[in-house]
Order: sequence, then C-alpha cells, then structure tokens
Amino acid sequence: METDQRDHAIEATHRRRAQFEDALTRTAEVRGTEAGAALGRASLWKDAYYRFIANKASVIAAFAFLILLAYVIFVPIFSNEDPYAVDFSEAYIPPSWEHPFGTDQFGRDLFVRTALGGRVSFAIGFAATIAIMVIGITYGATSGFLGGRVDNALMRFLDALYGLPYLPFAILTLAIFGTVNFWTMVVALTIASWFTAARVVRGQIISLKENDYVRAAYALGVPRRRILSRHLLVNTLGVIIVFVFLELPGVILGEAFLSFIGLGISPPKASWGTLAQEGYVEYQVHPYIIVIPSLMIAWLILSAFFIADGLRDALDPRMKET
Amino acid sequence: MLKFTIRRILWTIPVILLVILMTFVMMRMIKGNPFRTTERAVPEAIQRNLERKFHLDQPAYKQYLFYVKGVFTLDLGPSLVLRSQTVNDIIKQHFPVSIHLGVMALLFAIVLGIPLGILAALKQNSPLDYASMGIANLGFSIPSFLVATLLIYFFAVKWKDVTGLPTNGWGGPETWVLPVIALGIYPMTYFARLVRGSMLETLQQDYVRTAKAKGLRWRVVVGKHVLRNSLIPAVTATGPLLGYLITGSFIIEYIFGIPGIGKYYVTAVTGRDYSVVMGITVLLSVIIIVANLVVDIVYVYLDPRTRDERT
Repeated sequence: METDQRDHAIEATHRRRAQFEDALTRTAEVRGTEAGAALGRASLWKDAYYRFIANKASVIAAFAFLILLAYVIFVPIFSNEDPYAVDFSEAYIPPSWEHPFGTDQFGRDLFVRTALGGRVSFAIGFAATIAIMVIGITYGATSGFLGGRVDNALMRFLDALYGLPYLPFAILTLAIFGTVNFWTMVVALTIASWFTAARVVRGQIISLKENDYVRAAYALGVPRRRILSRHLLVNTLGVIIVFVFLELPGVILGEAFLSFIGLGISPPKASWGTLAQEGYVEYQVHPYIIVIPSLMIAWLILSAFFIADGLRDALDPRMKET
Repeated sequence: MLKFTIRRILWTIPVILLVILMTFVMMRMIKGNPFRTTERAVPEAIQRNLERKFHLDQPAYKQYLFYVKGVFTLDLGPSLVLRSQTVNDIIKQHFPVSIHLGVMALLFAIVLGIPLGILAALKQNSPLDYASMGIANLGFSIPSFLVATLLIYFFAVKWKDVTGLPTNGWGGPETWVLPVIALGIYPMTYFARLVRGSMLETLQQDYVRTAKAKGLRWRVVVGKHVLRNSLIPAVTATGPLLGYLITGSFIIEYIFGIPGIGKYYVTAVTGRDYSVVMGITVLLSVIIIVANLVVDIVYVYLDPRTRDERT
C-alpha cells in the first residue's frame, strides 16, 4: 500500500512537473498577453476538478448535497404553510400531496418544519465546523511547524483530550454553560471534537516541512512566518477541504444525538434531532414523524461522505482515513 | 520493541492525570453547590459539615489531589446526591449492564461484519458485493436512533406475535436482541467496509501473486496470506470503535430504557451529582485510553513494518 501510494505520488509529481514546464514554455511564447500569472496553481484546481467529475458517485453525491441545501434554504421562503400555526383539525396527516411529509401533533406542516429544522442543523454544523477548523489548523500548524518540545507537549495534551469520550464531554460543556442555545451548542460540539482536525493538519505540516522547496525557502532566508503562510498552510488546503466534509456530518449527528436525549436547543427552534425526538415519542402510531428527519441526516451523511471521498482522490492529499 | 511498549505504557499515566484534571476543572466550573441548590434549606452548621465531609471546603488543588489518590486506589468517593451510595456502588450497579451491551454489540459487529467484508472483497463487483456495500452504506449513514426505533416498531410492535420481543427493559436474552443489533449495526458496517478495503489491497500484493503463481490452492492463499494481513486494520479499528460504543450506548440505553451507565450519566449531570459525573467520565476516559494503548501495542506486534519507526 505504502509503495503504491508513493508510486502514485511520484507519478502525480511527474505529471505536474511536465504540465508546469509546458505552461512555462507556453507562457514564454505568449508573454505580454497573459504574463506568467499563477498558471501552476490554476492548473492544480482544474486538474482536481476534472478528477472529481470523473468520479460518478461523488458527482451524484454533490448534487444530492446541493438539493438538500436548496430544500433547506428555499422551501420555507416559497411555502405558503405557516410552520408555527397550530390547527388540531389537521393533526397527524400522513404524507400526502398537500403535505409531502405529513403534519405533526399540532397540525404543523412537516415539509416546511423539516426544512427549518435543517436550517438549524446546518447552521450549527457549519458554525461548529468552521470553529473546529480554525482551532484545529491553528493548533496543528503551531505544533507541526515549531516541532520539538512544543510539538511533544501539545501532542501529549491532545492525547489526553482523545481519551475523553465525545458525548459525555459535550454534555459536560453544556452543563457548564447551564443553558442550551445555538452558541453554547456550537461551543460544546467544537470543544468535544476539534482534536482530529488538529492532528490531521499537524501531520500534513510535518510531512510538507520535509519537502525540498520548503528547505530551499529556509536556505534563501525567507522569514518563518512567510514560509508557514505561503508554503505550508496553502498546501494543507486540500486536506482541510476534505476534512470539512468529514466533520460537518459528524457535528450535525452529534447535535442530533444531544437533542434526541433531550439536551438540545429549546423549542420552537427545532433541529433535525429535536424533530426526531418529537417523532420518537409517538413512533408506535405515527412512525413517519421520526423517519423523515432521520433520513435527512442519513442523506446528509451519505452525500458528504462520498463528496469527501471524491475530493480526496481529486486533490490527492496524502491523507489516510482517520 | 520492549522499549516502545514500556514507554507507551508509562505515557498513559500523565495522560490519565491530565484527563482527571480537565474533568475536575470542568466539574468545578459548573455553577452551584449541590447542597445549596436543594429546596430544603439545610442549617448552616450542617452544610459546613457536609462540605467538610466531602472536602468541598478545601482549596482546589487539595481536592484534586484527594481525587487523584481516590482514582488510583479505586475509590471514587460518595455520591453527593444519593447519600447512602458511593460512586463505586453506582458504577457497580450500572456499568456491568453497559459493558454487557457493548461487548455483545462488538461481537455482533465482528461476527457479521468481517465475513461480510471478506465475501464482498473476494467477489468484487458481484451482486453480493454491491448488496453488502449497499447495506454497509445504509448502516453507516442512518442515525442509530432511527435504527433502534424501526427495530422496535417492526419487531416488538408490529410483528410482536411472531417474535415475542419486548419494546424495552433489560433482563433475559429476549431483551438483549434489539439493543445489541441497534448498537452493533454501525460497527458492523464499519468492519465490513474496512475489511473489504484492506482485502482488496492485499489481493493485489506481489506475494499473493507469487503464491498463486507457484500453484498454491486459492483457499490456502486466501486463508494464509490474504486474511491474516487484511485483518490488521480491523484490530486497530476496535480502539476508536470503543469510543463509538460508549457514545452510542447513551442513545440506545435511552431508547430501550436500559439501566446502564449512559442513562445514569444524563441523570447525574442534571442532578449535579459531581462525584458521579466525574467518576463516570474518568472511568470512560481511562477505558478509552487503555483500549488505545492496547491497540497501539498489539498493532506493533502484528505489523512488523511499523516497528522500526516506533521503537
């Protein structure tokens, strides 16, 4: 496997160098019209794009993801249904043409409510993912870049955090805040799950540090800060993009778990987890109420996973599954 | 080799101390004193006595040291809410249930998941492969609360006459079936995917081709050369999966009304039973840390290639 990967990497390097030289000569020829601007970088992304497109499962997943996002964003805008209007004569209507997802105990339309729940889930998911990435990148880059004793100490600390089980840790954090709202939920999820990001970024930085161009930059006397920003961080971008799609569903699922056991943000702001919890209460009579929000989560997890898979191949980072 | 093992074991001690410290700090950050929040007003003198009894009047670092000493002597102190019980009692009462559930779920996952992965890899791109990977993708993406609810809905409500399974509770073997499946399905699909992937990779190795070329029977090639090497990732995955089983048990115990440690934990957090929350958190952390330790060491023994790097 190792050799396989290395072969693959070498091949990719050769290919990229050929492209680069090609681009260079072409640039020389057409100098003046499109003077040497960032050709190499542009071709990497174009390359990645074509490789991603070639992966059918990932393309389908990307569409599925976009459809889900569109549903969550646009349905509440264009729907005539009032998601908060209580009408007991309309309660517990199973899925039909008028109410594609049925109605709940108060006669509220679940098609709109599920979309609104998706907004809450996505908002928490995106906010927590961004926070996780910011903390993870900062911590991981510091650790990997400085190396030595600092690295060792930071990694030991991370080891200890790894020992903390995810849900109890998030529950403890929520208990510290004393209230559960959007922001405390984001903080709790972030605190409980930023370690993997830090570890992945650190690994990437450390392997990048060994590259010739980084050594060359050192030899040329480029300031350390500039090496970090221009050479190291930029090259972790691929890993980070992949990681976002692995982390987002994880965070959303974590929030759903917490909401499901009754520690979610309080109504009427309902996330998918809260909706599933509401459905769980009456699953024996009206099973569709729990099935729908749960399937939304499954949809999200599955599409994000295949997107991440395709992106990993496309961006060719040397990242193994963690 | 030995040096690596010893160093790895010794490193867990500061890690455990750090985990205890972090849990300790977090517990102290939760507002409110368990004795002051009770509705029944306790006379001040008694309150002071209670605080003294539980060392709450001592400076923080002393409390921490007391606690560390307690952890290493396996005495997690008294429960702050249930006056007659110690944390050890509570753990003894609830933890075996969770362990039982977790171990059975893990066995379920291994017994079903690994053969599924092997078959899928051996018959790559066959209907069997697609079917098992389809199942794997479903099991991996559907949240466990839906799996659990659907299992109950069909097997304990709709087809109750046929199966005779109860909807909740924890007692005889008939109460184990559904929770074990619900908790074990994700690890099962995880094993299946992992084993399939690593099998496919091993099948392409040169030594497999050599074994085939020298006329070794395919059955022997698979049994002796392929299987052994492809199961290593499954061993390493067991560590992180343990973390999942703990997390998952919170949900599963909640849904099936199983009196395990996860269910009690939520009660303890809302009831501000500091010592119980700390005790359980530290216990779960130590289990995860030790599991990762064992996996790390076993991995080095199983895969000689990692030895040079790690010693």
